[in-house]
Amino acid sequence: MTDSRSSIAALSDQLADAVAAAGASLVAVHARPRLPSTGVHWKDGVVVTTEGTVRQDEDITVTLPDGKRIAATLAGRDRGTDLAVLRVPTGSLRVAELGDPATLRPGNLVLALARLDEGGARAAFGAVSATGGKWRSWKGGEIDRWLQSDLTIYPGFGGGPLVDSAGRIHGVNSGALSRPLATTIPVETVNRVVTQLLERGYVARGWIGAAMQPVRLDEGGGLLLVSIEKDAPAAKAGLLLGDVIVALNGKSLESFEQLLDVLSGDAVGKRMRLDVVRAGEKRPIEVVVAERPRRRR
Amino acid sequence: MVSGAFLGDAAGRLRSSVVTIVDESRGRGGHGAGFAWGKGDLFVTSAHVLSANAGLVVTPDGRAVEGTVVGRDVDRDIAVVHAPKARVPAATTGDPYTLRPGSLVFAVGHPLGVKDAVSVGVFQAVRPVPSGYGLAERRPRRGRSPFIPWVQADVRLAPGNSGGPIADVEGNVIGVAAMIVSGLALAVPAPDVERLLASLG
Repeated sequence: MTDSRSSIAALSDQLADAVAAAGASLVAVHARPRLPSTGVHWKDGVVVTTEGTVRQDEDITVTLPDGKRIAATLAGRDRGTDLAVLRVPTGSLRVAELGDPATLRPGNLVLALARLDEGGARAAFGAVSATGGKWRSWKGGEIDRWLQSDLTIYPGFGGGPLVDSAGRIHGVNSGALSRPLATTIPVETVNRVVTQLLERGYVARGWIGAAMQPVRLDEGGGLLLVSIEKDAPAAKAGLLLGDVIVALNGKSLESFEQLLDVLSGDAVGKRMRLDVVRAGEKRPIEVVVAERPRRRR
Repeated sequence: MVSGAFLGDAAGRLRSSVVTIVDESRGRGGHGAGFAWGKGDLFVTSAHVLSANAGLVVTPDGRAVEGTVVGRDVDRDIAVVHAPKARVPAATTGDPYTLRPGSLVFAVGHPLGVKDAVSVGVFQAVRPVPSGYGLAERRPRRGRSPFIPWVQADVRLAPGNSGGPIADVEGNVIGVAAMIVSGLALAVPAPDVERLLASLG
């Protein structure tokens, strides 16, 4: 055997080992008609999958690595980050070995794993394509790290893990957020959302009950209020249609992103200081952030 | 570390066994792949590549040789062509049932007419195709049953790969590329091909 053949065979073995190791903490999630999705046994008794693949709240089952099918209950879902959390009896299967996504660099070899039936874990193979900082999904959720790869997210691979060549799990692959490259929700975001979903079944997000659009004024940018909901924090604070918000907590306001950043995280109950231009005059207005009504999630 | 040669040895060896199969009854459209088997005078391809009883086998060194179909299993989408003048080294075969998911595999074929192209990926499973992948579950057609075992691999295939081999990292053929379903490569397991050849006597 030549060196090239032995090293490629060793890589092949290593990838199969990684699939076997990480696959031991994967389940198939049966929460929609026909095609199951994949779930990761994130903590003992807690399975994470993607929100978009959980189409029913009741009668959910999961297939374990040994082929046994057991019942699971929905603990909560968060459309913003495309994550859902299920509870299963503790000790049902091995707990995932988590990696640190900060160590992944473009070019690192990675696998996307899935479990779709009683026939063992499945894998797709590729490389990390791009990494970066915090971003917001098109569904509005805050994701702590940009993590894209050239993996094919086959049907049912949504909710499955991104795995490095040592079998460590770096996040959950979202089919819904994967357009066109595979997008992974990183470990830190999954941890944060899992904690909130287990505590109260949903992720609380800040809300002031107003819609606005960016406009330009002589002094710079601002957000023009184009609708205000009755009894919402914006209305209670005395904001009026046509007001232009030009500063937030003392900083000039140029984009929605700045406002959304303040409204995400632990914003509920906090005070926002706004500088508003009304009829050509600037005036300060204080708004108390409320929790976004559940129906809006 | 993986050396610069990567799959070079195994791929080079397998490429020397891969031929082009031309179905002359279909004019310009009927091109697929095939590979030499056994003593090198038999060629395995997909039944849907060669629907006529005879066809041309184009060897790696460019000779076009007449071949006759001596075996065909439309349900398993396999045809066997006898072409004694081709003189092509036979491929070695492997057993997909012993492969572990995540193992490296590669395909050789002529995707979109690119001769002897190699594509690399990983093995997923050898079993029936998952429900919901859209493989003729409601109206099964011959050669497209989702309920029989398929070698399933994360390897990029395209028209022109049909009939070509999918091999393990050593270059042993584990399946015959048949189709792409939901992006997934499906191949006929090598043991099924061996059974068909054994039945030819």
